[in-house]
Amino acid sequence: MSEESLTESETKKSLRERLYMQDGRNFGMTLVYAIIGAGLFMLVSTIPMPFIMYGLFKFGLLPALAIIGTVAAFRGPLAGFLTGYLGVVLYDLVIRGTIVSMTLPALGYGFLGLVTGAATYDLTSGRSLIKLSVLSAIGFVFTVLIAVAVGLTVESLATMVVLGFLMLPLITMGLPSVILLTPVFARIWHAILSKTYPSDQ
Amino acid sequence: MFQVKIYLASIQPLETRQSTLNERGLIMSKTLKSNKFVTVALIISIVLAGMSFGNLPSPTTSTSIQTVNGVTFNFADYRSLTLEELAIFNFLTNLFDQPYGSWDGWYLEPEFYGLFHYVLAFMSYSLAMYYETTPGYRTSYYEEISDNLVRKFNTSYDDWDNQSIEYFEWIYASITQNWTGYYYPDTFTPDADDLYTGGFRGPANIMWTGHYMLMELLHERNFNTGEFDDEITFYMEDWNNSLTTDGFGNPQEGGIWKCGLIPCEPYEVWVQCNSIPIYATELYDGIYGTAYMGNDTVEGIWDYGLEFSNTMMQDPNSLYIDGYYVQEPFGFQQPEEGVQQEFPGNRLSPFRTDGSLRSRGYGVAWSLEFLDFLQPEVTDEEYSIFLREYGKEISGDQMYFVDSFYNTGYFGTYEFLACLFTLALAKQEGDFNTVQRIQNFLYGLYNKVWSADGREMHWDTSSLEPFLQTSIAYGWIWGCNPVTLNDLVEPRPAGFWDYPFISQADDEYIWVYQAEWDPVKEGFILNINVDQPATLTFSNFDSLPTAYAGGVPLRTLELTSGGDYTLTLQSGSYNLVIM
Repeated sequence: MSEESLTESETKKSLRERLYMQDGRNFGMTLVYAIIGAGLFMLVSTIPMPFIMYGLFKFGLLPALAIIGTVAAFRGPLAGFLTGYLGVVLYDLVIRGTIVSMTLPALGYGFLGLVTGAATYDLTSGRSLIKLSVLSAIGFVFTVLIAVAVGLTVESLATMVVLGFLMLPLITMGLPSVILLTPVFARIWHAILSKTYPSDQ
Repeated sequence: MFQVKIYLASIQPLETRQSTLNERGLIMSKTLKSNKFVTVALIISIVLAGMSFGNLPSPTTSTSIQTVNGVTFNFADYRSLTLEELAIFNFLTNLFDQPYGSWDGWYLEPEFYGLFHYVLAFMSYSLAMYYETTPGYRTSYYEEISDNLVRKFNTSYDDWDNQSIEYFEWIYASITQNWTGYYYPDTFTPDADDLYTGGFRGPANIMWTGHYMLMELLHERNFNTGEFDDEITFYMEDWNNSLTTDGFGNPQEGGIWKCGLIPCEPYEVWVQCNSIPIYATELYDGIYGTAYMGNDTVEGIWDYGLEFSNTMMQDPNSLYIDGYYVQEPFGFQQPEEGVQQEFPGNRLSPFRTDGSLRSRGYGVAWSLEFLDFLQPEVTDEEYSIFLREYGKEISGDQMYFVDSFYNTGYFGTYEFLACLFTLALAKQEGDFNTVQRIQNFLYGLYNKVWSADGREMHWDTSSLEPFLQTSIAYGWIWGCNPVTLNDLVEPRPAGFWDYPFISQADDEYIWVYQAEWDPVKEGFILNINVDQPATLTFSNFDSLPTAYAGGVPLRTLELTSGGDYTLTLQSGSYNLVIM
């Protein structure tokens, strides 16, 4: 547990430590986190979520997106990246029976985890949770940009489709989701782990 | 252990309990103070979720297994409608509560005149799927809408002026394109040897006659009224004449236009438009016992045209191309550069100058779907090619279909049409992942609007295009309903019209999810939800039937003076077996 609840004072770390792959055990745990995160992402993505349209703007929350940032906050950028990337690939493949654009859009969701996991967090601190929110939002901007770029170039989607059916809904639903739900999920998960493994605190 | 803890807590002294509560309050207060941001984020999330709560899928239809008199009925084995489909139908009925040539609520604008009759035709086919799902529920509520739809489709210019389908489909286009002025083969200097082909009711308007006859035929298939028999046969004989003679009664291979197909716009034929009368001919043979489709001894009237479609009207991917000119249209302009258009000849793509042929996603999907009953191996093979060439993946959840793979940067009405046609094709092919992904695309940007009494539902498309509202509504039935076009091309089974069925009901109080007679088990399946006490009248039972619920008798039906039986149900949900 001590490995998961990092404090912001732990700033001097090697790259391997930041990626949680300084040794075989840690690397293994990182992969376990990523696989669990990807599986959770896939499962939560299958739940139909409510939404509402105001004109052409679609509002609602996508809790699956917050799982990526949460895993990243606990286990670093590699776990975050793999959760996002594998989560989308798994969902597309298992639930929808397809692979979209050679998994390139999934990379965008990986970036969400990568960027979010780039920093360390004290999940008991409000300031740190705000940082988690902000970095999740920045990471998600990459997700949107990559999705738009792949849509326009690799898939040759119509511009109107990319803007109206892809980018706008991603922004109006995805951004609030990562900004609001990621810190909430992370805090709840941290609280559960603290209760479950109090000695690790 | 849990009980012991509760007991211990309950016998704690009052002061101790107060102290514990205070401690918890302090902890909570401390927790909230140290997690202000998370608390705020959580509250905003809850508020946002509450504000955006809507558009969730309706619950699935509940079914049960019952054993009555030793016979087991599993309701899941029978087709069923969903709450959404029933509510959509109730919404659509409002569109018919007006004179035949009135179109309030259809959001019809001049730019859609040329497409409007298709809206009616495909609504008719969707509703035929809907009726077929509950074949034992045939009250006037369903029959009148089916009849009304046919009559709306047949509104003439003489009766309804510029609010008629004749005006929208034929005369409006003729104002600029002179469709009413066509003769074949020489339309520029016609004489007695040239056949007039500019008439709305034929012979060269298969995009209306084909749909009209099929709509009538499906009405007869579903309700057996006999009211359209004469017109149906008139068009069948007219097509036979067009496809096997020169139009003047002299036998001619390939028919009037020598390609075995019938034009829509008088100078051009399309596979998709001809797939409708081909489908109708098969159903006609099944119902009326004829052999227009051919048999071991007689050649089918469409054989030549099918061969022409499958060999001549093909693109390099072996998919149907969009259009073959049988003659040069009035005012045709050759492209300024590149390959020139030939007459007769396959239509060239407007997006290329290298002689590439015109292709359209909606046309291919439509053709494959309606011809599937006749050449399933062709559909199976070309379906995957079609997905590859015309499908565009937005994400794992969403995909759409382009109208032309030479013009993928555009998105408009025909891309919507390509999606709608692929919806039913994918369903027919059993490709439910694609069905779901198209639905997510088509229905993901509109709010569901339920009426105050909860009996009607539609999607509000006004933010994008109000005209889409009707098509999006019946498109849900088109894509979701378990019945496919391959089911509807078969006539009713022998003895069907003697099966027990619901002939009258308090339709406005009930939701009929399943209603059909099982001829093998000799029981009537009724899955129904009753809003207010309602009475249903059953016809064709040979003897006094009993309604069973959960395998035990609920009540015996009552005999009416007309020899029918009635069943009155109180509010509630029922899975009934009546036998």
